[in-house]
Amino acid sequence: MYWASFNSRNYHRAQLFNSSSELIAWFVEKKHNITKHFDLEETNANLMQELAAMRTKMPQNYYQLQDRIFYINDTLYKQQYEYVPAEVINSTSTKRDNYFTINKGRLTGIKEGMGVMSGEGIVGFVFDVSEHFSIVKTVLSDNINIPVKLKKNNEHWLLKWDGNDNEIAQVNGVNRDIDIAVGDTVVTRAGRGMFPSGIAVGVVDELISQDGKQTWDVNIRLATDFTSVTYVYVIKNLLQEEQTELELRLVNEGDE
Amino acid sequence: MNSWVKYSLNFILIILVEGLVINQLDIHEYFNPMVYPMLILMLPFELGILPTIIISFILGISVDAFSNTFGLHASSAMLIGYLRPTILNYIKPRDGFDISLLPSIQDMGVSWFLGYATLFLSIHHLWFFSLEILKFDVLLILAKIFCSMLFSLALIILLQYILYTPSRK
Repeated sequence: MYWASFNSRNYHRAQLFNSSSELIAWFVEKKHNITKHFDLEETNANLMQELAAMRTKMPQNYYQLQDRIFYINDTLYKQQYEYVPAEVINSTSTKRDNYFTINKGRLTGIKEGMGVMSGEGIVGFVFDVSEHFSIVKTVLSDNINIPVKLKKNNEHWLLKWDGNDNEIAQVNGVNRDIDIAVGDTVVTRAGRGMFPSGIAVGVVDELISQDGKQTWDVNIRLATDFTSVTYVYVIKNLLQEEQTELELRLVNEGDE
Repeated sequence: MNSWVKYSLNFILIILVEGLVINQLDIHEYFNPMVYPMLILMLPFELGILPTIIISFILGISVDAFSNTFGLHASSAMLIGYLRPTILNYIKPRDGFDISLLPSIQDMGVSWFLGYATLFLSIHHLWFFSLEILKFDVLLILAKIFCSMLFSLALIILLQYILYTPSRK
């Protein structure tokens, strides 16, 4: 059941009654057309910052120590992830389960289970899709279980949220013999193919020891500010089907 | 104007206000105000249990559609819809309610309305937050109920003065 937690098949029949349905989305989009102008300044600043980070990564910014051995379009490299930009038209961040409605849907090739990130870090995954809209289940939800790891030594766990503070998420059951300290960077793990490895999740904020337990509970300060996300990227994994099929084969064999 | 036409217009207005404005406030985790229970409180005194529940269901499921909560609001609305005729029966004056009046702040007075709204809102919020959190965390649930209640009550009183006028001049 490892992969089952992001499979939301049980909820399909409820599609008429959520904000990806065309009637509700019509209202929500009309509202968004008014309110989207309210935080343009902050949105622009974020986009510029992201663009600057991308620019520094471009190949001409690097001094070549050695002749290039390969090119990026070499057959050694095959594209695995594509990014679909989308606009958040409806969002909450203070409920127990928080969802974003975004303005791209099935027609753009979005499917359930795809990862979603903003310029700052991870946001969540696609939970339900209609023709023109999708609903994203954010990290700020019960049982979100996104695989994350420590950047410095690849120790990995599942990310959870306890519902108390929308800037802090949790990881439970961290062994005490692991080299972990406040301020360490936490990034995504490629585990299920929802996210490429290494997208920012946050930094370790607090290590909490529970009486009588041999493990830490770790609070992670999230990189994404969920109250002000306006633009997101939906992550298409071009090899997802292949991976799922292979992993399902293993599960099915285990049953027999 | 026919009172049911007026009620339906208020109904649509409040659902849109709830879904597009109040739901988006995002002030803090503890402050989740809800104004739509006011529509159930404002139904006529003599309305039976079945129509009340049906109206509550339509109301709740519409709010659910905006906030992606899959029936959470519907169940809370139906709970107070179910309890309302019974509780009204207990708190009515000796010779019954005057059915030409509405249970609004303008018709029944501030103190009566405060008690009435607090009672139903606390049942609604208790059910809603217990189901939403679904964990035995009494402090968190009580904090959310208390903070949200104050806010909901203030908004509902404000809406009372905006939407309703005294039934009898």
